[in-house]
Amino acid sequence: MAVMEARCSSSVMLREFACEQNFLSQPDGSASFVHGDTSVYAGVYGPAEVKVSKEIYDRATLEVLIQPKVGLPGVRERSQEQCVRETCEASLLLSLHPRSSLTLILQVLHDDGSLLSCLLNAACMSLMDAGLPMSCLFCGVTCAIDADGQIITDPTAAQEKESRALMTFAIDSKKHNVLMTSTKGSFSVNELQQCIAVSQKASEKLFQFYRDSVRRRYSKTL
Amino acid sequence: MKDTPLSNCERDFLLKAIQEKKRLDGRQTYDYRKIKITFGTDYGSCFVDLGKTRVMGQVSCELVAPKENRPNEGIMFFNIELSPMASPAFEQGRQSELSVKLNRQLERCLRNSKCIDTESLCVVSGEKVWKIRVDVHLLNHDGNLMDAASIAAISALCHFRRPDVSIQGDEVTVYSQEERDPIPLSIYHMPISVSFSFFQQGTYLLVDPCEREERVMDGLLMIAMNKHREICSIQSSGGIMLLKDQVMRCSKIASVKVSEITELIGKALENDKKARKAGGRCGFAESIPLERITALKMDETPMEMMDVTERANDIVQKAEVPPQMVQSPVVPVPGVGQVGQGLQNTWGLEEEEDEEEEDENEGSDNSAEEQEGRVSPMEEEKYEKEERDGGDVVEISDSEEEEVVILHPEKPDKAPKNTESSLHQKASNKKRQ
Amino acid sequence: MLSTLKRRVGEVLLPGDEFSYDGDDTISLTEPVRPEKVLCGPGLRRSGDRLLVCKSGVLRHKQPNVFWMDCQQKRYVHAKGETVIGIVTVKSGDVFKVDFGGSEQASLSYLAFEGATKRNRPNVQVGDLVFAQFIVANKDMEPELACIGSSGRANGMGVFGGGGLLFRVSLGLVRRLLSPHSEVRSDLEQLFPCELVIGMNGRLWVRSSSVHQTLVIANLLQSCESMTPLQRRELFTRVQQGAL
Repeated sequence: MAVMEARCSSSVMLREFACEQNFLSQPDGSASFVHGDTSVYAGVYGPAEVKVSKEIYDRATLEVLIQPKVGLPGVRERSQEQCVRETCEASLLLSLHPRSSLTLILQVLHDDGSLLSCLLNAACMSLMDAGLPMSCLFCGVTCAIDADGQIITDPTAAQEKESRALMTFAIDSKKHNVLMTSTKGSFSVNELQQCIAVSQKASEKLFQFYRDSVRRRYSKTL
Repeated sequence: MKDTPLSNCERDFLLKAIQEKKRLDGRQTYDYRKIKITFGTDYGSCFVDLGKTRVMGQVSCELVAPKENRPNEGIMFFNIELSPMASPAFEQGRQSELSVKLNRQLERCLRNSKCIDTESLCVVSGEKVWKIRVDVHLLNHDGNLMDAASIAAISALCHFRRPDVSIQGDEVTVYSQEERDPIPLSIYHMPISVSFSFFQQGTYLLVDPCEREERVMDGLLMIAMNKHREICSIQSSGGIMLLKDQVMRCSKIASVKVSEITELIGKALENDKKARKAGGRCGFAESIPLERITALKMDETPMEMMDVTERANDIVQKAEVPPQMVQSPVVPVPGVGQVGQGLQNTWGLEEEEDEEEEDENEGSDNSAEEQEGRVSPMEEEKYEKEERDGGDVVEISDSEEEEVVILHPEKPDKAPKNTESSLHQKASNKKRQ
Repeated sequence: MLSTLKRRVGEVLLPGDEFSYDGDDTISLTEPVRPEKVLCGPGLRRSGDRLLVCKSGVLRHKQPNVFWMDCQQKRYVHAKGETVIGIVTVKSGDVFKVDFGGSEQASLSYLAFEGATKRNRPNVQVGDLVFAQFIVANKDMEPELACIGSSGRANGMGVFGGGGLLFRVSLGLVRRLLSPHSEVRSDLEQLFPCELVIGMNGRLWVRSSSVHQTLVIANLLQSCESMTPLQRRELFTRVQQGAL
């Protein structure tokens, strides 16, 4: 186990990440999020008028749209949309704005691995920027397990390709619980638990980053 | 979602300001807003900022069969996506009038002007040619989408490199970027669209209208031109009468603007080339303006991993071993199918009561238990009870089971009750499904 | 809880941050114990015995025990009693529909103007601006506006807008402009004489003696959003000296 730990610590890195808030004039909230080379734009409109067919009487209707870089959205985007939507629904206080619509649009700019976690982080930043009521924040962390059983966090596209299993977790900011998982490939229970523990650790860094960027944003109005 | 309506006061003010040769953002009549061109990490991806308007161009390619009437020519495909991100008025997946207009104009500007050598895209005559696809995503709408889209499209095409191919006999080999250097497209000239908006039946003219100016304009003239002052396409919309010398004046202005923009694109391409050659990081991640207070960057961070493995092991060990599930499906009576073992089926059969007390719940709990790892036996029992009360059975093929009820007419005193409960259950099942 | 809240006033907080009731607030034995009451404004919610932050922003405090989150959002959520600038979109029968930038259109009765009767209808056209107050603002009901106060007087409300410019800023800036001793406002007053209508929904309307001055004021206000007071004063003095 000691050997494994030593190996783990060498490969568990988060790539550099960056974020810009409120950079689009039209949406009510917007954020761009970058993990290494993977980059995503997010824009939020709402609470706004809702179509009668989509109206829900006791809470807001949340729509998530993911636009791929090339071509039209397909099955892959639809499944990502669902993952993001369910995570957002878990953290947003939708009942405060009944009969209104929230639209979250995510534009993929470049995919170099860990796309889903980047989408989640961009989504969270833009929801926060739009000032929508949330019970907690969330962040996404992707872990890959390579052929040797080593865990790699925030893998690049090349690392993703070589990996045996790929897991993305959405983690909340309050108790660091898992809000959503999306996995691919095979792995043992032990490995799953390890990945969750790693992601929970990584999420602390991300939440600190969220806090720093919001603090920086409000630095002139303190 | 609807766009915010334009008030009368804005309209009057804008028209009055235009008469006084004033614009909202302090520009002069013939001024463009600030143009910024950045390239992505990939070849063929480009971002253009025109004031607050922001678009992204992305070029991709694939090998396809050519069109029958043109066996030696590659195929160009253009698509402008009006993403709802750009404006609340844009809807996902619906072809609006604006999107048709923009797409048509971009096609005429770039395809019909024959600015790209499509014959060089032929691999095997009549069998395989390159299809070049240009996607333009509109990210923020603050007016003059066409000019921004045309700049993004042509810059992305100039930046794009297609993979190298070789032909040996019948075999076509496509080389990856690592094996052989990719090849740029051969571009003859760069058409760029310049938009003019007209007010008060053509009395006043503005270059590069912003969103609010577009809303009050009477007509729009789009001229696509290259730096050799050749007009590639010209389109007037809005139904105003333009005088000949006005069109001439516009084309003169366009030629000046086009040469400026072409120079800018050239510079941007050169900068990008230098950055790539130097081996430095380039692309979008580097283009975030870090001097702004809204932006923040964090460097690569290692993570402390010491106790992670132990914690994970702990959780796994604490988790209880999942009890064995009954493997074979149990068939209580003919015509009833049941998956898993769980609560007693109340759908018409009263004789069999609590024959098997094994829990389906436990089975379904296992996954949750593994994740949580800390579900105590006490809690588990509670779950069981709750579920028993609630009657949480998910069964397949309800229709057959309904028939079972009808098959026992000799017990009229109980049958109605059963149907009632079964209906109730069915309803609850449906809710769950 | 009160002491922790007070200690963190002025700090940037994020959704999910909590204040829990901690029993270590000292209770005096001699004086009668007064239950502490905290009034939560926007962005703060009670959940059980905790106080939950649900918007990102700066925690603000007002005497005696009012707390709220100051947030720079753009989208307006209506609240009773607030005055907004709306655009009339539909005239239908007895009511006007007014767009105020929220999640649905508000209704404005034609009788809710000063001096309006069934015979004497106010002259309102589609596209006109109205400055009005919410008399019904509830998340479950259609919002309703009125251009008269409870006394039947207009108090400056009603149709307006000839010759001025309407533009949008963030809700944070609007609140800064409306605060009783607003520095932005007093800085602006020294610049040009102008008429300014501030809607809580982030819409501003400004009119001054010339188109040029109106545009200058609009652009200055829009750029105030991301400036420290020092930078703002510098810019304003530059404008005063005739830089624009």
